[in-house]
Amino acid sequence: MSYAVGDSIPEWVMASVSAARMCTMAAILRDPNPIHWDRDAVDSLTLGLGKRTINQGPLGLSYMINMLHAWAGPDCIRRIVMRFPQVVLDGECVTARGEITAVREAQGIALADCKIWLEHADRGILLEGTAIVALPV
Amino acid sequence: MTDKPIPAEGEITRLVNHHFPGGFYTVAHWENFLLTECTGAALLPDGMVHPVALFHLPITGAGTSIAEMFALGQAESDLSIMIESYDWEIFLPLREEIRYGISGGIISAQRCKNDQGKFYDRIQFCFEVHTPEEVLAARTTITWHYTRNTL
Repeated sequence: MSYAVGDSIPEWVMASVSAARMCTMAAILRDPNPIHWDRDAVDSLTLGLGKRTINQGPLGLSYMINMLHAWAGPDCIRRIVMRFPQVVLDGECVTARGEITAVREAQGIALADCKIWLEHADRGILLEGTAIVALPV
Repeated sequence: MTDKPIPAEGEITRLVNHHFPGGFYTVAHWENFLLTECTGAALLPDGMVHPVALFHLPITGAGTSIAEMFALGQAESDLSIMIESYDWEIFLPLREEIRYGISGGIISAQRCKNDQGKFYDRIQFCFEVHTPEEVLAARTTITWHYTRNTL
């Protein structure tokens, strides 16, 4: 298989971000922030998000990890850098997407530099960042 | 609404070089199973840990907690923290039931002002994860904004 700058990475869809999964994640992370498990706490903020919990940052990031794993294998990620311009809310359908920005070799391994992002149909890009991925031989 | 008092800038900037105690972390199978399920993916092969563990594994293993990290920056509340970025470098895949050694601390802490003229404190934490053979397996950098009178 060949890889080239501009190639799209096959998308990965989370059909409905789950409030129950946020609760499980909060317990494992021992994350005290109520925005992940208390809809009233989110409603009390001045952000106008209503009664919906906010997905943990690492969970939104994980959707892009899943996309990269599905594309290049379970041990492909060398680096991932993520910014969080918008929150991800429970019940939303979000899609992880990406594109190759460079292909290079380092220490005998073919690497792809990628632009990656998480998208919502109405709200646009929620998370955005970069990844360095080892390409399958 | 009355603004809450904000910490003196020096109390924030002197956090640089704060080191956490350090320690160890082992991801059990049950934990990897639940974490992976939360991401919507199937378990990875050969006991590989889903990289989403790179958030809490270093924090807990270094002997700190999200709550302590909030407190160090004198967060107004748990609701006042905004994420700037997460940077995860992976040198070796993490695996279940391996006892990783973790170290970490604060590498940057500064007072900033946003576009609306509100102060916030930008604090960067860096953690390193080593195998039992002392090979660097991962490095993570967390950058949070401690907002002041914003949310």
